[in-house]
Amino acid sequence: MFGDKITVQQIAERSAYAIHPEPETAQLKAALLKDIQRSVYVYRVDCGGCNGCEIEIFAALTPLFDVERFGIKVVSSPRHADVLVYTGSMTRSMRVPALRAYHAAPDPKICVAYGACGCSGGIFHDLYCVWGGADKFIPIDLYIPGCPPTPAATIYGFAIALGMLGQKMKATHHVQGEDEHVPPRHPDIPLALRVNIEREARRLAGYLYGKQIAEAFLQILENNPKQVAENVQAYLVRQDDPRLTEIVTRLEGLYQTHQGGS
Amino acid sequence: MLKLIKEVLKVGEATLPYPFKPVEVMPGFRGKPHHDPERCMACAACAIACPPNALSITTDLDQGIQTWSLFMGRCIYCGRCEEVCPTGAITLSPDFELAVMNKDDLYERADYKLAACRRCGMYFAPLKEIEYVFTLLQQSGLPEEGLANARALLEVCPECKRKNDVPKMVRLYQEED
Repeated sequence: MFGDKITVQQIAERSAYAIHPEPETAQLKAALLKDIQRSVYVYRVDCGGCNGCEIEIFAALTPLFDVERFGIKVVSSPRHADVLVYTGSMTRSMRVPALRAYHAAPDPKICVAYGACGCSGGIFHDLYCVWGGADKFIPIDLYIPGCPPTPAATIYGFAIALGMLGQKMKATHHVQGEDEHVPPRHPDIPLALRVNIEREARRLAGYLYGKQIAEAFLQILENNPKQVAENVQAYLVRQDDPRLTEIVTRLEGLYQTHQGGS
Repeated sequence: MLKLIKEVLKVGEATLPYPFKPVEVMPGFRGKPHHDPERCMACAACAIACPPNALSITTDLDQGIQTWSLFMGRCIYCGRCEEVCPTGAITLSPDFELAVMNKDDLYERADYKLAACRRCGMYFAPLKEIEYVFTLLQQSGLPEEGLANARALLEVCPECKRKNDVPKMVRLYQEED
């Protein structure tokens, strides 16, 4: 028995908590999603999350975003709930509590996978102790990705589930066309100079900001190679940031050295 | 009471009108990674950097296709892909409206052709990546003769390069003796 490979789905089917939806339930759910004429009550099931998602759910309840104006209310028992929100990457020990919450909620109910962990296990997806997402054994109707989803993203998710807005995301599949080439980023600047500038900016400001600063500097070089000193000065005065001034002055030094050398 | 109502009127409404009006995100907000498939060369730098493996690369050596794919449901919006992308094909957009009713809509895929080795004919590296390396060599000011040599070297797979190097080295040693 232990030699056989068992899938998560097979375990879920053999379990005493197995979910066998009835045909009427599907119809009721469709009706619930189509025109709900009353408030929806939400029950949160935290299945091993880091609490980031919980903080964002509560941020959505604050006066700034105020989901209760749509009648969305968080309740403390699954027996009152219309919507179950599963957060966290679904740890092994939370499987049965998650299923008990599912069975405790009255039909029809909507199940939401919330956050990167709820949708797929997120950064913990390949850990030994997680199932990797609520949809492994619970029928999920709505996926709200994000790590964590912002309150606005939460509202958007509920809005598409309740038919207030349409879904934006679509699956895409690009196939490489004929004559598809990647042009070099700054063809007019010598490669060695570009690499040196990018490397120095990255060393001083880190990958993300280094890239942005190097890009801005290279743009100045490319726009007018004759008046680099003046344009850099004007740019630094405009930005008015001593840290940026320090970094860009060093990049300019590199440029001057390169000009002297060639 | 009147005083309170006056105060309330003065303060106005704190609640944002979202979702009926768009909400503004802060500068530097990290939302959905926007992938420009034309600028991408399938070099897999992003797939190596991605902490939760939301970005992945699969290679089909029989068909000669390298597939880049992004699963939005796993992305943690850290921006490592944007940092490491050598061609600027990925940038994190301010788009946060990502919720879907169907899981398949969370996937983005792009297929790229692989180049076949000049000698053995096996697929070994993305065509666009080889082209890009050649463009960089051109840009670095390599002379015409060197470019032709580089081209010949670029289009040979590592396995064949190794096989090719051994007789060359043997010949060199023999000449020394």
